[in-house]
Amino acid sequence: MEILVCVKQVPDDSVEITLDKSTGMPALDKVAVITNAFDGYALEMATRFKEAHGGNITVVSVGPEKARDTLRNCCSVGANAAYLVNDAACENSDTYGTAYALSKAVAKIEAEKGVKFDIIFCGKETTDYTSSQVGPMLAEIMDIPQVTNIIALDPAEGGLSVKQETEEGYNMVDVATPCVVTVTKPSYDPRYPTMKSKMAARKVQIPDITAADMGADASLMGEAGAKCKVVKVFEPAKKEAGVKIKEETVEETVAKAVAMMSDAKVF
Amino acid sequence: MGYNKVTPELIEKFKEIAPGRVFTGADINEDYTHDEMPIYGKYDPDVVIEVASKEEISAVMKLCNENLIPVSARGAGTGLAGGCPPVAGGVTLVTTRMNKILSYDLANFTVTVQPGVLLNTLAEDAAKQGLLYPPDPGEKFATLGGNVSTNAGGMRAVKYGTTRRYVRSMEVCLANGDIIRLGANVAKTSSGYSLLNLVIGSEGTLAIITELTLELIPQPKETVSLIVPFEDIDACIGAVPKIFMAGLKPQALEFMESEIVYMAEKYLERDVFPHVVDGVEAKAYLLTTFDGDSMDALDPIIEKASEVVFEEGAIDVLVADTPDLRAKAWSARNAFYEAICAATTELDECDVVVPIDKIPELLKYVNSLEDEVGIKIRSFGHAGDGNVHVYVLREDLPREEFLEKAEIALGKMYDKANELGGLVSGEHGIGHSKFDYLKKSLGEDSIDLMYGIKKVFDPNLILNPGKVCYKL
Repeated sequence: MEILVCVKQVPDDSVEITLDKSTGMPALDKVAVITNAFDGYALEMATRFKEAHGGNITVVSVGPEKARDTLRNCCSVGANAAYLVNDAACENSDTYGTAYALSKAVAKIEAEKGVKFDIIFCGKETTDYTSSQVGPMLAEIMDIPQVTNIIALDPAEGGLSVKQETEEGYNMVDVATPCVVTVTKPSYDPRYPTMKSKMAARKVQIPDITAADMGADASLMGEAGAKCKVVKVFEPAKKEAGVKIKEETVEETVAKAVAMMSDAKVF
Repeated sequence: MGYNKVTPELIEKFKEIAPGRVFTGADINEDYTHDEMPIYGKYDPDVVIEVASKEEISAVMKLCNENLIPVSARGAGTGLAGGCPPVAGGVTLVTTRMNKILSYDLANFTVTVQPGVLLNTLAEDAAKQGLLYPPDPGEKFATLGGNVSTNAGGMRAVKYGTTRRYVRSMEVCLANGDIIRLGANVAKTSSGYSLLNLVIGSEGTLAIITELTLELIPQPKETVSLIVPFEDIDACIGAVPKIFMAGLKPQALEFMESEIVYMAEKYLERDVFPHVVDGVEAKAYLLTTFDGDSMDALDPIIEKASEVVFEEGAIDVLVADTPDLRAKAWSARNAFYEAICAATTELDECDVVVPIDKIPELLKYVNSLEDEVGIKIRSFGHAGDGNVHVYVLREDLPREEFLEKAEIALGKMYDKANELGGLVSGEHGIGHSKFDYLKKSLGEDSIDLMYGIKKVFDPNLILNPGKVCYKL
């Protein structure tokens, strides 16, 4: 199968991010960049699928020049080819603008490679803005089926059998291809690249795609095309430590909790 | 040595010195009776004082010296050799409230801290300023006072050395309550005996640390970790000296067998290292980190390292060059101690250190003891600096049998380390648990000299009695 994995380069989410007081925006200058964790899971799932059933994996990212490093890293852990949608018109796109750019990139890459993608993998969300919208919007724009929050997939007649995680358990969903799947954390982690795969990835050519190359309407992307405007970025209020109430018996504990709430005029 | 008991009058005086922070009897937290190795016994202090300033330490010491009351200083209690438990009772001075980072001197790359600052706190604070405190012991929630008192080492000792190298000066309270400064904020010294270096690693037996000035270095810009699986354990250990012989300077170089990796993965509930690589089952791994100013500078280094390990029979070389992969790669190693503790009812340990080229011989011997003595042994360690942590596990053995076998196994390990030109402890210290082994290893003359030094600093032998260089 032909597989596309959409990835985003994001700030390292294991470090504390603060706001730059002068710009009012997150201070990211000294923060390392990594592949969005859920995109990493998506690529690992795609790679395992490829290893079991054959196929090719292409990765694509809408991002700045620096995102080329992330794409190269993807090529060292399973991707066969990579494209970077790199155009000033895409800067500061909202989720719709990004999904639109991706849809255009899909058509452009398909035409260039002479293939049709059977499965388009996205992470279920990014760890920076956590909107969970790009995958579903991409499927809508392309008018193909989608299954969100998947943790496993296998080939099935006419498409795929997909295991979707829900709050209660799982749904087993049959879906026709081509389709979009968004991936949540499966039971495994992404693999490490090897020295050999890193060296091979260094030689991979990663072509740029511009808005003009893919025939995109620049007015639908970037800040100008954004349907969602960022009014203000602020740090969430720090939560104060809670009060632990533990009395001898459950009844006493409940009575004390009720009394405390009554004193605090909660009711 | 005949010590006096702590009287109610003395306790009242302590309460005047440290109001609200003096504890006796049932109010003493049980944690203060031991360190992280309860197998070496629990000892009740007569009184615990959570000191908040050097003036309080000085006043307490003066009183205790005049009244012949033993005093044991204690940080976070994360030691592994019975260093802080008060074997003679008396006063336990807890320094964890003295936890302020006092100042940075960015022109001289130093930081001045109170002794109760946690290693993790300093590491995070220094990182925010683009600086690195190089010592990196596995226990990140130890106090810096404790780290200095044991000359703690850690993962990065291979390249950067141990805590000792980073102590520029310190302020200490002597047994009589006088406060003096040792060392200075200078890069070199040829100014008489180094009292500073005597106190470093002295486990609270010579003086109580009240303030530390520590050296920092610029944070390396890039780091890459390599996970190197081997099918053959001997080949894996044998690769360690070859890495150094190739002129490579890893920041960290750890050796681990697959069993202990599995143990840690079970504890963490996640797979960290691949168990089968290219269809070959890995039996042992090297985990190494290189640092440098740029990835371009690091690339030829990790390529060279890969060449070396492939020549020695590595199955593959896995690269952790992003923050998430590095954190994952080290998560298993950082959980070894907790994983071993979780897997057994009781354990004993040793952290012998041998010349780097003797590591293969030592580990091979340690592994042979499992069958010879009939006790489960797990080892891991800082292969890069010759320091191996060996744990003997009780599991389901009856306690008496475990203690007997552990003593036999540990005795043999210490003998072997001695034979290989090694020493009793690389970084955990001697406390009251390793004195016999130390004496056997160093001989009477060295122990007598140590005891003589102890008597000069502490004529009444009130500071942490029965530790390091003599038994009660």
